[in-house]
Amino acid sequence: MSASNVVGVYIFIICVIVPVLVYALVMQLWNAPLQNGPGYFLGIEVPAGFYEGPGRRWMTGFHGMVVALYGVCGVGLAAIIATRRWEMTPLWAGGFALVFVPAIFGFQAWTRHKLGVNPPVRPVALALESRRMSDYISWPTEALAVALVGLSWWLLLHGGRHFDWRSALLQSWAVLGIIPGKMAMVRVSWPLSAERTEEHFRLQEASRRFWIRLFGIIFQWFFLVVLLGVAVLHGLLPVPPAPVWRWLVPACSIAVWGYGMIVMFCGMSQLKAMGRNLRPSGSWKTPFGRASCFGTGRAFYIWFAIWFGGILAFILYPLCKAWFK
Amino acid sequence: MFLTLQDNDKRPIYQQITDGIKDLIARGELREGMTLPSVRQVAGDLGVNLNTVAVAYRQLQDEGFVTVRHGAGAVISSRSARPVEQAELYKPLRTALTQLVLSGLTGREIVETVREQLAQLQQKGGTR
Repeated sequence: MSASNVVGVYIFIICVIVPVLVYALVMQLWNAPLQNGPGYFLGIEVPAGFYEGPGRRWMTGFHGMVVALYGVCGVGLAAIIATRRWEMTPLWAGGFALVFVPAIFGFQAWTRHKLGVNPPVRPVALALESRRMSDYISWPTEALAVALVGLSWWLLLHGGRHFDWRSALLQSWAVLGIIPGKMAMVRVSWPLSAERTEEHFRLQEASRRFWIRLFGIIFQWFFLVVLLGVAVLHGLLPVPPAPVWRWLVPACSIAVWGYGMIVMFCGMSQLKAMGRNLRPSGSWKTPFGRASCFGTGRAFYIWFAIWFGGILAFILYPLCKAWFK
Repeated sequence: MFLTLQDNDKRPIYQQITDGIKDLIARGELREGMTLPSVRQVAGDLGVNLNTVAVAYRQLQDEGFVTVRHGAGAVISSRSARPVEQAELYKPLRTALTQLVLSGLTGREIVETVREQLAQLQQKGGTR
């Protein structure tokens, strides 16, 4: 691919990502602590008048963290544009996601530790509906994803040319690692309130299906399209490939990512509407269990730590190696 | 279909689960052939130990309300429990009646209470 084409692709990626980040900040993130109403802060019950007192400090802290994260992202982008090092775009986008996710999780855990350490005990309801994996996960689709990863590696290894095996490994890890993640998402649950149980149950089911779908699109199919696209460019097409192919891979991956973003924003709005006036799972505990921290369970935490940790390791290992050399 | 476990209930958890499922069977909400969620799912949903739920299911199986089929899980087998001695059947009723007498209710009030409870049970179940 010629240098001007590469620059064009990176500028296109930036032009798609920036509006999405701004939309997420304005529509979803800025008022996220108030999503359950003024009686809660990030899903944790707070006393009346909280937002006239200590709540102001908590909101300032949350906004400060969000501004700092977006500030770092903005400075990174400005540096890329000023130095014209467009090849740093994937690192910038991925790096922001890698910092953003632990920061938000960390803030929520800190909030639980400080504000919701001893939530009230309430009666719990148990849904007597069996959850089967096949009701949530399409096994033929998962098999297709695995087969496409295999095909990509076959193309990469038989292309006879040098390829970045570390990126391919990272993408394969992300794609295949989602499958146990989806299984964990089917398994995990959080207590259902005994009041308005039917609505809580419907919200829980909608939430489970939403997160499984979202993880599938954004992390599984996005990385799969990138991996397969690179493998096809590497193993099937002549060097240099025709101009249409140069744009096709980034365009397809951005299309998948864009579709994922639409699903995310629509789904989150829908869940927000369903959860309005319902007691959030983190604001109470059952007579025999702790309150749910992130509206999920242990199986999900274990899977996420392994999967996300693996991605971090793939990215940090070469950086650390270069640093200590 | 939901089963509610109260925070101030003095019964052990497994007993609350067993009684709750029996209540749903008595009301006709859980019918013969319906499958109960797996022990793992119930334990995960409630945040209790697997053994607690396994004990509840075993008790239901022993009493003939549930059949555990390999691969199919726990299936509701019938609305009536295995045949029991009349004396054994009346024992909990006698305990409940004793409690009501000791609480100072008259015979008439007790009969009225029992009739009300039975009517409620039959109304929810929509049968018998």
